[in-house]
Amino acid sequence: MSPATSAAAAVSVMAVAPQAYLVVGTILFAIGLAGALLKRNALSIFLSIELMMNAVNLLFLAYARMRGDAAGQMVVFFVIAIAAAEAAIGLAIFVALFRARQTVDVDKINFLKW
Amino acid sequence: MDPLLFDALAAIAKILFVWAVVLAALLPNLVLLERRGAALIQDRPGPNRVGPFGLFQALADVVKMFMKEDMVPLYADRLLYNLAPLITMIPALTTFAVIPFGSSIPVTIGGVTHIIPLVIADVNVGILYVFALTSLGVYGLVLAGWSSNDKFSLMGGIRSSAQIISYELAMGIAAIGVFLAAGSLRLPAVVAYQHHGTFLGFLPHWNCFPQLIGCVIFVVSAFAETNRLPFDLAEAEAELVAGFHTEYSAFKFGMFFMGEYANMVAASALIVTLYFGGWSLPGLALTGLWGGLASIAIFAVKTFFFIWLFIWVRWTLPRFRYDQLMAIGWKVFLPLSLLNLLWTGWLVLASGGRV
Amino acid sequence: MNGELLVFAAASAVAIVSALAMLFQKTPVRSVLSLVVTFFALAVLSVLLAAPFIAALQVIVYAGAILVLFLFVIMLLNLTQEAAEKETRVVHRFLSVMGVLALGGILVGVTWKAGNPPVPITTSPNAIPVLGVDGEIPLLGRLLFTDYLLPFEALSVLLLLAVVGALLLSKRRFE
Repeated sequence: MSPATSAAAAVSVMAVAPQAYLVVGTILFAIGLAGALLKRNALSIFLSIELMMNAVNLLFLAYARMRGDAAGQMVVFFVIAIAAAEAAIGLAIFVALFRARQTVDVDKINFLKW
Repeated sequence: MDPLLFDALAAIAKILFVWAVVLAALLPNLVLLERRGAALIQDRPGPNRVGPFGLFQALADVVKMFMKEDMVPLYADRLLYNLAPLITMIPALTTFAVIPFGSSIPVTIGGVTHIIPLVIADVNVGILYVFALTSLGVYGLVLAGWSSNDKFSLMGGIRSSAQIISYELAMGIAAIGVFLAAGSLRLPAVVAYQHHGTFLGFLPHWNCFPQLIGCVIFVVSAFAETNRLPFDLAEAEAELVAGFHTEYSAFKFGMFFMGEYANMVAASALIVTLYFGGWSLPGLALTGLWGGLASIAIFAVKTFFFIWLFIWVRWTLPRFRYDQLMAIGWKVFLPLSLLNLLWTGWLVLASGGRV
Repeated sequence: MNGELLVFAAASAVAIVSALAMLFQKTPVRSVLSLVVTFFALAVLSVLLAAPFIAALQVIVYAGAILVLFLFVIMLLNLTQEAAEKETRVVHRFLSVMGVLALGGILVGVTWKAGNPPVPITTSPNAIPVLGVDGEIPLLGRLLFTDYLLPFEALSVLLLLAVVGALLLSKRRFE
């Protein structure tokens, strides 16, 4: 298909109901939440949080498509960039933590407990 | 004929053509070309026993790779160990999907003339697709190093992937200048931009002339991206045994090897498309059936020149040390590519749209 | 059988299966790889939602840079397995799973109702217009430098902060 026709066709008609995308995004969010709650390795928890953020990105894109509004895509752009900055700092924190305690198991990092 | 069916068949034909040329004809013979080229530069004959002028060396190499013993190191992560060569090879081959290798070929079926543009997929994000695949290719190296359960492989893998992600940055920013000038991210649009007109009356309207710094940065970064000398510390034979593919043998090693050459061909094709006019020559319209075939030939010749450049540089220059390599990538190429971006932006503004 | 439905079904299935795989993997390296597959499937879904630029960005930045950083940290810290299970935290696990299922169910119900009936396409000033051959990329570029200029500049400051912060945090203290 020439690019022009396929792009125009994609905007006007959606073959798959938009709420299907919303449901997929929500299921992924729930899976990420389960990971964040159940895992003990700090890096795995962080990975689950990244999954949650990406699920939310999908929801934003679905809504942007439903409303025909590009602001949703702009939000996703910024979320991706912020996630990159957050990942850099988070991993630096984990590295410093590992150097201090030789573990990244969140159950063992309980220095502030009374 | 239904237009969707026609487009699908045309796409399949183009894919088969690219596969036949690249996978079957080019890659095995590149091994021979590299060894004969090395011999030429080092003033010795090179492989010339197998067939006339050593032309069947490719076949001999393939047979050897299949017949060697296929080992897996102890305690290696099997799934990742087997997956790593695939992850290196697949992005290199898939990059060809967006590179325009010719102008267009008209086909007449049942009285209706369809024009097939000679690019497999004209996606509207063009170059971002290539960058995405390059980013995914890093995983092959990292996994190969990690899953071999060997400290030399791990060091080689980590070094190699750090090198690749550093030079990806300079490469990307240098390439932005091209898309700024062309006004679109699509590669056929970039080639069309370089097709018409001339600079100063006699130079072709190629992007390498106004953006010389960007062109040099892109070409050198392509060397770094494909792990070729002078940037091949990660697989340096003397220092790290064989870097990330130390523990690989037989077919999987062959896949890494072929993956490196496929990357080389893809990088050459990309350099030609972005900076040297793609399939176009100044002054030729290149329409119709013969124009289309001529444009494929022109593209092939230009790409071949850059493949030869890769081989030539490999056997001429010494290798960089790792800290020198990273210093150049971050402290020299990144600022220079930003300068190139500013320069190109100023040019586009001053010339009112067409540089 | 519509092509778009087929691709949607395949991509969603891959995304959900690899997200579940990420939960149940034994080594962190394999979790990261499962997440890479998930993000790739999400990028495919983004293309279906007429956002190819965001899809490419997700693969380049998320799957190609952030997760590589994760892999580097895992390999350099040599975190080969999940921590040994000394206490099994039964109550915690039970409550977490129940909570997630409840929340997931509520959210799915809410989003289903939100999409049904579908919100009509409004004529907002940032509406995705009838797209030319370059897709929505010129529109996004224009938006980024006009309406969203302040967040864009703030983002560059944020990235600088992240670079400096990461450098400082991971420096070894010389006593």
